Parts: sequence; structure tokens; C-alpha cells
Amino acid sequence: MENQNLTSTATANTSLMQNLQEVRDMIRRHKRKDIIFASVGLLALVLALLTLLTLFSDLVIDGYPKFNPDFLTEFPSRRAAHAGILSAWVGSLLVMLVTFLTAVPMGVAAGLYLEEYAPKNWLSDLIEINVSNLAGVPSIVYGLLALGLFVYGLDLGQSILTAGLTLGLLILPIVIVSTREAIRAIPASIREAAYAVGATKWQVVKDHVLKYSQGGIMTGVIIGMSRALGETAPIITIGALTFIAFLPPAPISTTAPFINFEWLSSGFTVLPIQMFNWLSRPDHAFQVNAAATGAIIILVTLLMNGVAIWLRYKIRKNIKW
Amino acid sequence: METNLHRSSQFNEELERLRDDVIHMGTLIENQIKMATQAYVHNDVSAALQVLDNDNQVNDLEKAIDDECIHIIVKRQPTASDLRLIMSIGKIVTDLERMGDETKKIAKSVRNLQKPLHPLPADMLGIRHLADLATKQLQGALSTFAHLDTGEARSVILADDALDAEFKATVRQLITYMMEDPRTISAALEMMTMARAFERIGDHTTNIAEQVIYIAEGRDIRHTSID
Amino acid sequence: MDQVSHVTKAESRNLNFYYSNGAHALKGINMPLYENKITALIGPSGCGKSTFLRCFNRMHDLYPGNRYDGQIVMHPDNTNILADGVDPIEVRMRISMVFQKPNPFPKSIYENVAYGLRVRGGKNKKVIDDKVEQALRGAALWDEVKDRLNDLAFNLSGGQQQRLCIARALATDPEIMLFDEPTSALDPIATASIEELMTELRNKLTILVVTHNMQQAARVSDYTAYMYLGDLVEFSKTDDIFIKPKDKRTEDYITGRIG
Repeated sequence: MENQNLTSTATANTSLMQNLQEVRDMIRRHKRKDIIFASVGLLALVLALLTLLTLFSDLVIDGYPKFNPDFLTEFPSRRAAHAGILSAWVGSLLVMLVTFLTAVPMGVAAGLYLEEYAPKNWLSDLIEINVSNLAGVPSIVYGLLALGLFVYGLDLGQSILTAGLTLGLLILPIVIVSTREAIRAIPASIREAAYAVGATKWQVVKDHVLKYSQGGIMTGVIIGMSRALGETAPIITIGALTFIAFLPPAPISTTAPFINFEWLSSGFTVLPIQMFNWLSRPDHAFQVNAAATGAIIILVTLLMNGVAIWLRYKIRKNIKW
Repeated sequence: METNLHRSSQFNEELERLRDDVIHMGTLIENQIKMATQAYVHNDVSAALQVLDNDNQVNDLEKAIDDECIHIIVKRQPTASDLRLIMSIGKIVTDLERMGDETKKIAKSVRNLQKPLHPLPADMLGIRHLADLATKQLQGALSTFAHLDTGEARSVILADDALDAEFKATVRQLITYMMEDPRTISAALEMMTMARAFERIGDHTTNIAEQVIYIAEGRDIRHTSID
Repeated sequence: MDQVSHVTKAESRNLNFYYSNGAHALKGINMPLYENKITALIGPSGCGKSTFLRCFNRMHDLYPGNRYDGQIVMHPDNTNILADGVDPIEVRMRISMVFQKPNPFPKSIYENVAYGLRVRGGKNKKVIDDKVEQALRGAALWDEVKDRLNDLAFNLSGGQQQRLCIARALATDPEIMLFDEPTSALDPIATASIEELMTELRNKLTILVVTHNMQQAARVSDYTAYMYLGDLVEFSKTDDIFIKPKDKRTEDYITGRIG
């Protein structure tokens, strides 16, 4: 009897060990797939980064001779050695200012309305789909629209204002979508908590929704702006000048009324157009200028993205839900 | 009372076991009373000693059931009818244990009556009557508990009056004997103890019946007149 | 003892509630809330207890398509807080709420408590300071946070956060406080402190609490209502519900029987 028990226990143990061995083999097989996928992913990542790095270092090496302060303070010139990007970066800066001032209030307001106020029906669904799709419209189409609407329709001319509005329009969907995403990330429980102490809708939006979605909204805005910075096609379409040897009137002056808006209607150029212009010159010396400008654009773009990441981190750090 | 099963089958089993144990303890007491009665009727000392000996089992069961109750309270936090059942069983068990003690007194009296005492002039039919009634009361109370039948519980409570009346009659008879012939006092006092024990057993059965009403209806009818 | 008459603080009269998807979530509920008493709502998931609780501060108004039918009358002013003419904001000013999961704002401890006062236009710093302290004391949190009122609320433990939410709800001197499963996200010790707090708060206001935990209902409440599938099955003193419920369905639920 006892012997029998011992034997059956032994058999049970053997089969248990066999099972265990099978389970271990299976885990090993599954893990192998893990490793394969991780390696493929890593490879893709490294390839992408390498391409970017090669491009960037190529630009830096090519444009190296122009990396000096003079490049930033000189107007473009017929002589490659003296040519700088002063009018281009000032132009970019002012255009960005207009873009920021139009796209952010409009985009945030639109996102806020869609998320908080708009009734949920087929119309708001339609608008939602359209907004998302707008983000995918090729930028040159925005250029055509702006040419018809701003340049000829509203007679704003080929000005900083027109360019700023165009780019503003271009990044509006990005701002709207990121605003909505940021608002949606706020849990319903926080909203309910605010309503439960007797807050009105506007108080909830002002004191909570906007406050807690700032980080997400700013990230979206900066990403949109960095895209706008590099846009060339729509700016060319509306007819930006390629050769500008003057600065627009300063927006701020030391005499009353201190602020003027003449600069808005001024002709302008921007960094990518300046770069494009130099690239199309046969003289090889201008290629160096173009490379240097390209490097600067990439640098500024990376910097803006870095700021976006930092902002998001800093603001999210205090919010845990 | 019709009750559904608990979601926890283990809880069902625990309650079932508890109920069975109470019935078991009650049956044990019933047998003790019967044996003590037989010992008296047949003047059987060894049976009386057996009764005294068996009381340990009763005491052990009391402790075991109390323990089960505490465990259920800790593990299940019983509510409503479960809570009433557990609490009442705690009390019922005490009543049963007291009945065991009363039975012991009867057995001791049987043993004491073996000493050469001056006999009573007549057989005490009243004692047999009391024993009969007390046994029936206990059987009724146990059946009431088993079926949680409140109608039966009320009849058990009312039927205790008959036991009380019989007890009073027996006491009167014994007093008469003692006055007629003081030599009978020793024997009469033993008889008195026995009669008193049966009467007390009857009281405990009404307590059990009251607890059954509490379990079934949630109405506490202790210290109030019935209906 | 049963004859002690209680003042009715609020009562629902034939209250029906329909969600926007048409679900008939509450079916003709008639139930009083007694002043300075704790009333617990128990019942299986989906029985309508949270829905009922949220009627009391018109939380359902936040989502379109929900519909009330019937009345919740508050005393002594006899206002039907579900009436069209009554602004839900006015209702929420009188009836505050504590939620299932602690939901402090991502603001400082001080600002969390002060928010209800700010919403009411409170500007006087002295007044707000006093109210905040009073509320935090009321929520048994003052001693733990008085030296770090400007810390973020998220740095508090779960139980402290929930007490902060109670302080936030308390700061505006509500007449009724609603608790929606207030301890379901807390450990037993934090739970015990919230329960203790509730029984203290009872002296100041009237409490309605939804709980999944029957022992909790038995511990803290004076009255208990058992709800099932949108019906109020039984409303009674808590002791009666837990010792001798009248309805078989209540009995089956609280004893864990298969009904």
C-alpha cells in the first residue's frame, strides 16, 4: 500500500517536471519573438536617427564657413561672401508672431467650444471630422486659398500679415486638435468636483479646464509653430519676395504711440525662402549660405520641440490623475 | 420560514452544521432526562451515575457550539435572520446546558434516595407526570427549533402552564406528607428537588421557544405575556 | 423609543429618473431624509442608488438628455429642487458632495478648500482664511496640514485627500452632504477615519451616503434604504434593516443569499 503510494507520487512528480519543462520551453520561444521585434524596432529607430543626423551634419559641415555673427546681421547680397539672413530671420520672427497671435486664440477657443459647449450631434461630429482632415491638407493648398482670400479678396497684399494669417490657418487644426486632446485628458471627476461646489460653466472652464490643459495646448502650439517656421510652399504661393534688403518698420518705437502696425503690411522674406533662393543660384558660394540657413532652421525647430517637451514635463509634473 | 441559500456554499454548510449540533445537543439532553426518569422509576443507581457521567458531553457540546458561533460572527458578519439565528443559538445552548444541570440534580436525588430513608406513604405519581411533561416540552422545543415553526413555539410556551400546575400539586402533596409525619422530610425534600428540576426544565424549554420566535419573526417576546 | 419624531430635511416624492438612452433608472421613489441623521443607500450594482444620490445636487444636469420626473422637496423652505425654475447651481450651493475617488483639484491644499468660497465671490482674505481653517478642522485634517497649506493636494495620502474633499464640501456650510461610496478607494484605517468623521458631521448637517459596504451602512447610518432595480424596496431604521428586515428581497441581499 505504502509502496504503491510512493510510486504514484513519483509518477506524478515526473509528469509535473515534464510539464514544467514544456512551460519553460514555451516561455523561451515567446521571449525569442520579443527580442526579434525589439531589434527590428531599434534598427528602424537608428536608421531614422542616422538619416537625420547625416542630413544635419552635412548642412553644418557645408555651411560651417558662414557660422559667424555677421551672417545674422547682414542683408542678402549679390556677393555670396557678404550675404546674410538678417531680413529673413526678422521676417520669420514677425510672421511667426502674427501666426501665434491668430492661431492660438482662435484654435484654443474653437477647441474649447467644441469640447465644452457644442452640443453633441451630427453637426459637431461633422466639424470634428473636418478639423482633423484639415490637418492633412497639403500646405500649398493653404497657399492658394490665402492668395485668393487674403491677397486678392481682402486686398492685404503680399505682406507679413498675409503670410502670418496663412500659416495661422495652416496650424489652426493642429492647435484645435491638441487643445481638444488636452481638455479631454482632464478626468470627469475633476469637472464634477468643481460643479459640485456650485461653479458655473465658465468658472469651471476658466479655473480648471484651461488651467490643467495649458501644458498640452502649449505643446500643440509649439509643434504647430515649428512646422510653420519651415513652411515654404504657401509663402511662395502668396508671393513672398525672395530678395529683401531692408527691414520692415519696427513694431515698437521709443516715441508715442510706441506701437505701430505698419510692419504688418510690409513686404518680407522668411528663412526657408531665403534658403530656397540661394539654392537656385548657380554660383556654388551661395550653396554654403543655403546650408548654413538650413542648419539654423533645423536648430531652431529642434529647440522649439525641446521647449515643448520641457513645458509638458514641467506642467504635468504637478498633475496626477 | 422558507429561506434561500447563501452565495457562499461554505457559509451554508457552517449554518447547517451549527443547527445540527444544536439538535444533537438537545437530543442528548432528552436522552439524559429519559435515563434519569428511568433511574427514578426503577430505582436504578447505575443509570443515575451514568447520567452524571454523561453531563461532560453536554458541557463539551456547549463549548463547541459557542465556538462555532463566534467563528461565524468573525468570518461572516451575519445580518438579519442569520444574525438572529446565531445570537439565539448562543442563548439556546445556555438553556440546554442548564437543563443538563437540572437533569444532574434529578440523578443525584435518585442516588440520595438509595440511603435508608423513611419512605413516603405513597408512590409519587406526580414526579412521573412531571418527567413526562418536561420530556414532551423539550421534544416540542427541539422540533420548533428544527422547523422554525412559530405556531408550535407558542404552544410550547402555553403548555408550560400544565407543568407549573403539576409542580404546585406535587409540592402541596409533599408538604402534606411532611406535616403528617416529619420522618418523611428527608425523602420528601429529595422529591421536592426532583420536582423543582423538572419544573425548571420546562422553563428552559419556553426560553428556547421564545428564541425560535425571535429567529423567525425578529420579535423579542421575552418577559411579555404571549399573544 | 420609535416614537421620537425627526425633522424631515428633504424628501423625494414619486421621483422617476430617465437617462438619455431611455433607461428608467429610478421608479417612483418616495423617501425622506431626516435632519442631522445619516441615511445610507445600499443595493447591488445598477440598482439606482448612485443615480438617486446624484439627483440631490442635480449632477445629472451636466449630461444632456437626462430627465427627472417627480420632486425632491427641501425643508423648511419647501423648495422642489428639481423644478425647472430652480437653478442647479443654487441647489449645489446648498447640497455638497464627496465622490467615490478622492478628486482634489491640482491646486494647493488651501485653494482646494477655498474654491467653493471663491466661486461664491469670496474675496476677503481674512474671511476665507478663517473658513478654510474651520473646514479643515471640521474634516479632522487641520493638524496634519496646517504647516503646509500651500503644498499641492496631490502630495497628501489617499485618506487625507478624501478628508480634504470633505473639507472642500464643508467650507460652504451646506445643509446636506452627499457621499458617493466615499471609502471605496481607501484602506481600512483611512476608511475608519472617514466613518468617524461622518458621524461627527451629522451634528452639523444631514448626510446621504451610498455604500457598497453593508457593514459600513450598519456602522455609520441611522436609516438605511435598500434599492433594487430602480425601486426603493425598504426604508427603515438601520437596526431594523440589519436585524429584522421586512422585505424578503432585503433579507436576501444583506445576508448574501441568492435572491
